[in-house]
Amino acid sequence: MIFFIILLVLAFIAQMAELFIPPLPWLFNAHVYIAPVIVFYGAVVLPFPLMLALAFFAGVLLDVLTVQVIGPRVEISLGSSILIYGVLAGIMHGLRPLYSRGRWEVHCVMCGICTSAIVLAQYLMITFRRGSVFFSKEVWWQIGGPGLIAMLISPLAFWILHWIARATAYPYLPGRSRLEYE
Amino acid sequence: MNRTSIIALLIFGAILGYFLSFGPDTTQKFQAGAYQLISPFLTKGSGLNKEITSVRGKLKSLEELEKDNGSLRVENRQLKATNQALRDVEHEVNRLRHALNYRERSVFKLVPAEILTRDSSTWWRTVTINRGKEDGVEGDMPVVTDEGLVGKTTTVSKNISVVLLVSDENCKVAASVEGTREQGIVSGERVAGGLTPLLNLNFLSKQANLHPGQKAYTSGVGGVFPSGLLIGTVKSFHVRELDGQAQLNPAVELSHLEDVFVVTGRK
Repeated sequence: MIFFIILLVLAFIAQMAELFIPPLPWLFNAHVYIAPVIVFYGAVVLPFPLMLALAFFAGVLLDVLTVQVIGPRVEISLGSSILIYGVLAGIMHGLRPLYSRGRWEVHCVMCGICTSAIVLAQYLMITFRRGSVFFSKEVWWQIGGPGLIAMLISPLAFWILHWIARATAYPYLPGRSRLEYE
Repeated sequence: MNRTSIIALLIFGAILGYFLSFGPDTTQKFQAGAYQLISPFLTKGSGLNKEITSVRGKLKSLEELEKDNGSLRVENRQLKATNQALRDVEHEVNRLRHALNYRERSVFKLVPAEILTRDSSTWWRTVTINRGKEDGVEGDMPVVTDEGLVGKTTTVSKNISVVLLVSDENCKVAASVEGTREQGIVSGERVAGGLTPLLNLNFLSKQANLHPGQKAYTSGVGGVFPSGLLIGTVKSFHVRELDGQAQLNPAVELSHLEDVFVVTGRK
């Protein structure tokens, strides 16, 4: 439980820090997303109910900071990030057995893909609202860039979180499922 | 999946459904409340960010000075550091004096505000400012600097407001071009490649034939933005199938904003 609370606090700090990290001009103004890395790590090591709670918390935070109410309409509904986080964290949670076998590099790659999926989902939603679908080089970089950065920072982030999990005596390695015994 | 997981999933789904059912007003109230809760973190973070940036700026200037005064570097180090610190203070004083002058000569009632965070997400061009309902700020109020139009307020909490920048695709401003009868709608680009975004002035006549350097001002149509605020200068003009479109360089350097004013009314 202590580790879960630490993850909540870290997700909050990461979300706040993202506000002050400027976009990277050399990567077509791609933004740096740290909070998803923490959430997706939590998705791998936490039990299902706590994973949902973490995804919910991170989703609410992201929604609060990004939802735009323009006149009488909301561009992206409050709750959409919760749904995205919930689905993606669920996918990561499904890869838990792989993590317990020590194949954490798969999760680093998935962390990047899922981070890009969040940005892509946001883009598709605003495109649906505003019309005129287009995918230029800039768009692809602004979608792929955050994923690439998340993929690169995730080994270090996972290592730090892994260390914190050990320090708090969290039984982070999930037990072997019945499927693995069969 | 065990029973606890199913119950957790059902609770998650129910709360999600509840959130998704929020209308614009409830969303804005929820967002304003949440901003109020996190405002201490934003204010502290903004202060910390400024300190870090200022330290970085000082080091840069020292490097430049070192280049110019290579032989006197060691003897003058202390003096240079003092000069640098004084220069920073002077820059700050000049900036604030400039802002104060603008506030005094402006025909509008202006509430000065400081930028706390900028461009917090990939697809929306917004900044947060340290003024809110307590300072008389409301939603849909124009935000300006002495150089021109910055954007308009959207979500307003007790002492923090979100400003939608003029470079956002959703911020639409009725504009007229100096020296012509041309009127159009200015909006930003969905995706900006460079650090300085360009603005699009749409729905001009095909015969507009605007020239680079011509200025575009708010026309006052629509009720949100008063007329006469400088939006930007024409960079290029091209004719499309149904209308003419001009690209504008924003009058305000939006990526380096520090202080802004919220227009709360006329004097």
